Amino acid sequence: MILPDQSTVFIIDDDDGFRESVHWLLQAENISTCGYSSARTFIETYNNETGCILLDVRMPDINGLAALKLIREKNINMPVIMISGHGDIPIAVRAMKQGAQDFIEKPFDDEHLIRVINQCLCQAGEISEHESQLASVQRHFESLSRREKEVMQLVVSGLSNKEVAETLEISPKTVEVHRSRVMRKMDCDNLAILVKKSALLKN
Amino acid sequence: MSDDSELTRCTTEAARYRQMFEHSTDMLSRHTATPEWIYIDVSPACEKLLGYKPEELIGTSSYEQIHPEDADNLKQRAESVIYRQGIYTNVHRIKHKDGYYVWFETTSRTIRDDQGTPKEIICVSRDVSEREIAEQATRRLARVVEASSDMIMFCNHDDQIITYMNESCLSTFEFPGFPDLEINLCSLFNPNDYKDVIKPALETAGKTGKWLGSIQMQLPHPINDNKHAEVREIIGHHNRNKSDSPEVEYYTLIARDITEQKLAEKQANIQQQEITHMSRYLSVGEMATGLAHELNQPMAAIINYCRGTKRRLKDTSTFNDEVVTEAMVLIDKQAKRASEIIKRLRSFVRKNDSIQTLFSINKSCQNVCDFLSQEAKNNGISFEYDFGKSLPHLYADKIQIEQVLLNIIRNSIEAYNHTHKALRPVAVTTEYNSGHIQITITDTAGGISEEEQQSVFEPFQTSKSYGLGMGLPISRTIIENHSGQIWVESDGVTGTEFKIRLPVEEKS
Repeated sequence: MILPDQSTVFIIDDDDGFRESVHWLLQAENISTCGYSSARTFIETYNNETGCILLDVRMPDINGLAALKLIREKNINMPVIMISGHGDIPIAVRAMKQGAQDFIEKPFDDEHLIRVINQCLCQAGEISEHESQLASVQRHFESLSRREKEVMQLVVSGLSNKEVAETLEISPKTVEVHRSRVMRKMDCDNLAILVKKSALLKN
Repeated sequence: MSDDSELTRCTTEAARYRQMFEHSTDMLSRHTATPEWIYIDVSPACEKLLGYKPEELIGTSSYEQIHPEDADNLKQRAESVIYRQGIYTNVHRIKHKDGYYVWFETTSRTIRDDQGTPKEIICVSRDVSEREIAEQATRRLARVVEASSDMIMFCNHDDQIITYMNESCLSTFEFPGFPDLEINLCSLFNPNDYKDVIKPALETAGKTGKWLGSIQMQLPHPINDNKHAEVREIIGHHNRNKSDSPEVEYYTLIARDITEQKLAEKQANIQQQEITHMSRYLSVGEMATGLAHELNQPMAAIINYCRGTKRRLKDTSTFNDEVVTEAMVLIDKQAKRASEIIKRLRSFVRKNDSIQTLFSINKSCQNVCDFLSQEAKNNGISFEYDFGKSLPHLYADKIQIEQVLLNIIRNSIEAYNHTHKALRPVAVTTEYNSGHIQITITDTAGGISEEEQQSVFEPFQTSKSYGLGMGLPISRTIIENHSGQIWVESDGVTGTEFKIRLPVEEKS
């Protein structure tokens, strides 16, 4: 399984002993971890790293559910795995509904935990790849002139050069020039790629 | 006797009377028989008593000088007026020349002519201000005694007859008034208390003037069923006239009706017991839940350390002894933490040392069923009792035993949750044989399998979605601590019987 570089498991749990034991376990699989004793300290120090979050349901101050809400409000899109103790299942279910990726009961099976973490880290990698792709497409799109943007939109909607020329009331030759510039600036080899990138922008 | 000598005798006598009249410290006066009681004559004592010279008073209205509140005493036959053989004695206030009032005790007699028409009124008055003030204080004091919420009695020294009871005392005894029959002090107490406590208390009060304590009074039947009173204080009063060897003349006994207090105490006691009962029951459940969560942390950590180490063992290239040592140190730390949690629990349990009392197991069974009556009603359960007659009392921790009964009877009620039976009896039976009391709780909710019978007393075995599975293990611990046994019998088809056997302590 290929994991994105520098992805980290963020462990948020008030119990120091438990946090360190998870670190010990994940270290055996070369998964890097970072521990926080509360959701607050995590949010304060988080700086757009990629990875996933292990979040304990039972915590003083801000409990798991509130922490999840807070994390989402801060636009942190990392996958979240809730950890629940005995009898906290209903809370975990609510957390799932609020957008947690998974929940596991404490104490947990190491195989299961590592499988879930790997899944989440992959997902995180995808998210991060998607996000970086989107960022570059956006950057490219912003570099287009107004006319180039118009030409691009008409082209991806399926019009031929001639039809674009008629719609914009310019010569087909000019459309040709604009179109080749769009392809270059948007870093596209063919029309199919341009259509894909345009769709990405619309989302 | 000649007229002369008669005249001389009369003159001498008149002079003597005049002397008496003039020198009497009492004020002698004559008044008209009119409503104004105008002074016709008054002895010179009036100057000393009222500040007026006789000539100042003669011709004025005596009625006008009487305090308005006392002026109509005679007419109204007020309490202060005594009438005896044509003579009125009246206590009233007269205005002194200086403006203040003086208390007078006036004896008056109406002089009538042959036809019986009032001619004049003769009065003898004396200043009784000092006496009146003293009497007023006494009257006030008497009112305090009379109105006191404490029960107050006076009792003779020699024959110990009660001579007075105040209002509060009469009301506690439910006497309509002070009884005509003589009441002896000893009849108000239990004979032993009278002999052992009251007699010495009276002696102490006689010697030192006062005795303080509390002795329960024996109220007459049937009011003794729901009323309680206690003597709190005895005061010995000495006869001051015989100053050479002062003797106790009488005693004042101050008692208090403690019916309300007793009732409040009883209620508080019942409430306290209920609270203890509930809180113990709650604390076992809460403690178990809290313990489960707390123990879960180090346990989960230990598992993580073990698994992490196992994973490291697979990769021989990176594995070395140091890793194992490190893991052991970490595991050790978490295991110690778990044992600390257990230690804390132990000390918590020790704090609630059990209190052994003698009690009736039948009553306890009834208490618990009453406590569960609402729950039983909601589940369509009917309790059936078969209590053994004249069982010996159990010497044990009543609250703990009731806790066990509560747990098992509740289990029996809940056993019917999985059935659709219309008849849902829970039978509670008690019996005594060979030094043991045996309690059997039976349900007909289908019974439990042999396998389940083996494990029901193991911790964390539960058929309930919300249970922790600690009820029966805790019950077993309690029963075993009382040197008893608890077991279950079931055919797996009809129903289940839980049996508790407890030894009855031999009285040594």
